[in-house]
Amino acid sequence: MPPLKKCFHIKGRDFIHAGQAAITVQKLLRQMGIAQSLIRRIAICGYEGEMNVVMHGGDGLFCVEIDADRISLEISDDGPGIEDIARAMERGFSTALEEYQEMGFGAGMGLPNMENHSDELHIESAPGKGTTVRMLFHSPETGDSQED
Amino acid sequence: MPSAYVQFEEKYCTGCTKCVRACPTKSIRIRNQRAVLLEHLCIGCGECIRVCPEGAISPVMSRRGLEKTDKITVAIVSPILYAQFPGVMPCDVLMSLNHMGFDHAIDLSYYLEMYQYAVERFIEQNRERKETPWPLISPICPVVKRLIALKHPGLLDHILPLKRPVALVESGIRREISEQYAVSEDDVLLYHLTPCPSKVTYGDTDDPEDRSGLNPAIGVNDIFPRLLEEVEATREMDLNLYPYRHLSFIPNARGPLWAMSGGEIAGMNIDRALAVSGLQEVKKYIEKIEMGLFQDTEYIEFRACPEGCIGGPLTAVDKYLARSTVQKLIKMFGLGRRIQPRKLRRLYDRGWFFSQTKPSDYREEIEDKSRSLTIEDMRRIEYILSQTPGHDCAACGAPDCRTFAEDVVRGYARLTDCYKFALDQCRDSNKFSDKTSE
Ligand SMILES: Nc1ncnc2c1ncn2[C@@H]1O[C@H](COP(=O)(O)OP(=O)(O)OP(=O)(O)O)[C@@H](O)[C@H]1O
Ligand code: SF4
Ligand code: SF4
Ligand SMILES: [Mg+2]
Repeated sequence: MPPLKKCFHIKGRDFIHAGQAAITVQKLLRQMGIAQSLIRRIAICGYEGEMNVVMHGGDGLFCVEIDADRISLEISDDGPGIEDIARAMERGFSTALEEYQEMGFGAGMGLPNMENHSDELHIESAPGKGTTVRMLFHSPETGDSQED
Repeated sequence: MPSAYVQFEEKYCTGCTKCVRACPTKSIRIRNQRAVLLEHLCIGCGECIRVCPEGAISPVMSRRGLEKTDKITVAIVSPILYAQFPGVMPCDVLMSLNHMGFDHAIDLSYYLEMYQYAVERFIEQNRERKETPWPLISPICPVVKRLIALKHPGLLDHILPLKRPVALVESGIRREISEQYAVSEDDVLLYHLTPCPSKVTYGDTDDPEDRSGLNPAIGVNDIFPRLLEEVEATREMDLNLYPYRHLSFIPNARGPLWAMSGGEIAGMNIDRALAVSGLQEVKKYIEKIEMGLFQDTEYIEFRACPEGCIGGPLTAVDKYLARSTVQKLIKMFGLGRRIQPRKLRRLYDRGWFFSQTKPSDYREEIEDKSRSLTIEDMRRIEYILSQTPGHDCAACGAPDCRTFAEDVVRGYARLTDCYKFALDQCRDSNKFSDKTSE
């Protein structure tokens, strides 16, 4: 059976609706009986990824795929891209504008957090080519694994 | 445990769907043109009571007023009550309760201060021990606790494991009064006067062993008309003839302050605290905590009702009027503290403030008992949803098209409850009858 896939648009610089995709996914997973701790991890990763698009990337797409043995998030944008991925992964590294720092963002903790809370993290990005972040979470317990 | 917080009176309900749409947990449907409740999803917030134009919905508790009884009756007074009487001193309100028939009326403000002390101490210790995750969530609002248990059980650990002030009162007052009157503790009847439709239920008590679960509650709006008469009479009375018989402490302005959003944290020495009120806002903040935000905030005071408890569904006076009354009381009395930290510290260290039930125990009681949906279910829901008109018209009896699709998959609803599917079916059978008539 093909996995269940849902996608949401992310609008760049829209701080009012930022986080909405991550919240919707959170609700979906809860209805499916996914373990709380896993929902939490996915919510954190989804939120950080979504915020990065809103703040650095511009417009983008947030997709979740749910399979019996794994859940994946794919968050992509066609924004400026990341020059040095290894550098971007460092804790504390940030190119966030000052105005965003004033809003409480730009601690340079987003990507490190995503790495921490996902089982696998893959980034594809190059200057001018946009960014795609893929995160995998292994062996969720979905409603499928429960007897009814 | 009472099976529901609210009840629907069939003969008044017109099936207008207002409550269906207002319910934050989507726990109401229309069936046979009448509202029905999915009890396992109700958190007792009272939003439905507010919006029903027919007055068909009432809190389960308000069936009980002050009963005729030989027992000693004690009113535990939510400070919201004072905010209902502009220009009246809290003491006069308490005395009026006496005249109305309560043997005692207990003001909560001292207990509120004690509670605040305990929160400060807990936070101080948690800064070093880091045993409870930040942000700590106030345990005061039972609706918020239930919302968390139902929708975000992963955050139950954030709820501060302290007793609520009402539970602090209950832990001693019954004995105190039974001794004073030389009656047994069973002959002391505690009433909660409250603006909140969700107070008297087993499961709300901080201690399952104590008896507060059995205590009747009376809505502030229920008692208001009678009390207003008494308050007016009291103010014309020669007070020297009627000694004031409330038990413990003279009210100050900290009680009324507590009734407003922000009042819980305003009296405390914590740097990084937030107050959030109104269910929509509360939901947003809880979702954000779930996404890892606010970890540098120490304490969040959540109130499901807008502007705090003065905005409760069972109040008599508009919340903005009530707020201005509170502000006047604060000006008059100030916000001095009366507690003696040294004494309280000993109590704290002995564990007196701590709730016997862990917030995570709450989970079993409230947990969302709906069946988990499978990937296949989800696919069907998406498909049905794509076939609905998508206007969230609620004419099917569900609050929105997505919930309708879920209901169909769960077996709570039929496809033809939605007019679009009914129409399609109708067309199909017309085609059929057209053919047969040809
Ligand atoms: N989608 C993206 N497009 C372009 N650059 C990005 C994108 N995502 C991350 N980056 C770059 O990687 C850096 C580090 O990202 P990270 O999420 O770790 O921190 P941050 O977003 O700057 O701060 P924080 O997430 O703590 O608010 C960013 O400052 C930015 O330069
Ligand atoms: S009290 Fe709140 S949760 Fe319960 S049915 Fe009414 S609106 Fe819904
Ligand atoms: S709001 Fe609900 S209970 Fe009130 S009349 Fe409408 S459908 Fe019936
Ligand atoms: Mg980031």
